[in-house]
Amino acid sequence: MVALDLDATQLDRYSRHLIMDAVGPEGQQQLLNSRVLCVGAGGLGSPAIEYLAAAGVGTLGIVDDDVVERSNLQRQVLHTEADIGTPKVESAAAFVEAQAPDVTVEPIERRLTKANARELVASYDIVLDGSDNFPTRFLLNDVCWLRGTPLVHGAVLRFEGQVTTIDPRADGPCYRCLFPSAPPAGAVPGCATAGVLGVLPGTVGCFQATEVCKLIMETGDPLVGRLLSYNAAGMTVDTVEYAANPNCPVCGTNGIDSIEEIEYTETCAIDDHCAGGS
Amino acid sequence: MDCTAEVVGDTTHTIDVADGDTYGDLLTAVGLSTHEATVLVDDTPVPEDQPIETDHVRILRLIKGG
Repeated sequence: MVALDLDATQLDRYSRHLIMDAVGPEGQQQLLNSRVLCVGAGGLGSPAIEYLAAAGVGTLGIVDDDVVERSNLQRQVLHTEADIGTPKVESAAAFVEAQAPDVTVEPIERRLTKANARELVASYDIVLDGSDNFPTRFLLNDVCWLRGTPLVHGAVLRFEGQVTTIDPRADGPCYRCLFPSAPPAGAVPGCATAGVLGVLPGTVGCFQATEVCKLIMETGDPLVGRLLSYNAAGMTVDTVEYAANPNCPVCGTNGIDSIEEIEYTETCAIDDHCAGGS
Repeated sequence: MDCTAEVVGDTTHTIDVADGDTYGDLLTAVGLSTHEATVLVDDTPVPEDQPIETDHVRILRLIKGG
């Protein structure tokens, strides 16, 4: 049972949540009590941060070491022309503070690395992956799995987006069940080289924020063991079920018990000697 | 044997596969490399060097951007 502590302003601000059976005062209190780490304040992070803040997620950690560039503004709606040259975490924090006074922002102007990932993830209930590179993505998968922290993954390119939720508590599959290692550098294009429809990360980031809210309130069916594939060109949504891979180097039978031996560069491969059961 | 290869979010291909062809060969046939996609058979990822033993697969592309 969640202790309810909503004041009159909050009862007004969150009234459209409070009247929903699946949310109600208890769900709103769960949102207000929660701590979510958003990795990346770019294309996916922008809408996710905006909607999580508006929903009243109590504490939002935002990790990013980039500054706002003009080429970001076509899709990164947290930031404005006036923010060019400003650290993205500062710009994001200013937006949230103006939009949602209930929310505590913890701006972390650092790159998520093997050295700091465990400590950062340990401080939060749920992690939202809005990163734009494979080393960060595989690092988050591994750290979150080992810590038992739910991770909501998203990715975008051109007209296509993907979302899936990794929930170690549910013993569901992890990202490495699908992709055991990253491709060599340059084998898969990113948005900077192949482009992305500006509105696409808005849609996908909102899917991710939806997953986070559901996980916090323990309602609905999260995308555990399912990957949502959205094609904006055909306006199609497909959900692909995927099973845990018993040979997965992270969550499989002989999966890792530490990230110490893993190099999060290039392919982020996990050699046999890293595996816990070998 | 024909194998339908459904690239999720994209097109479905019908590929004529020979004995001994692997799932990696199937990826090549649809224009993808083993680095950029994974093959699912009955919702389970299969190794790229495993011989094809089914008439339908789903192919999931690895997407990088954020």
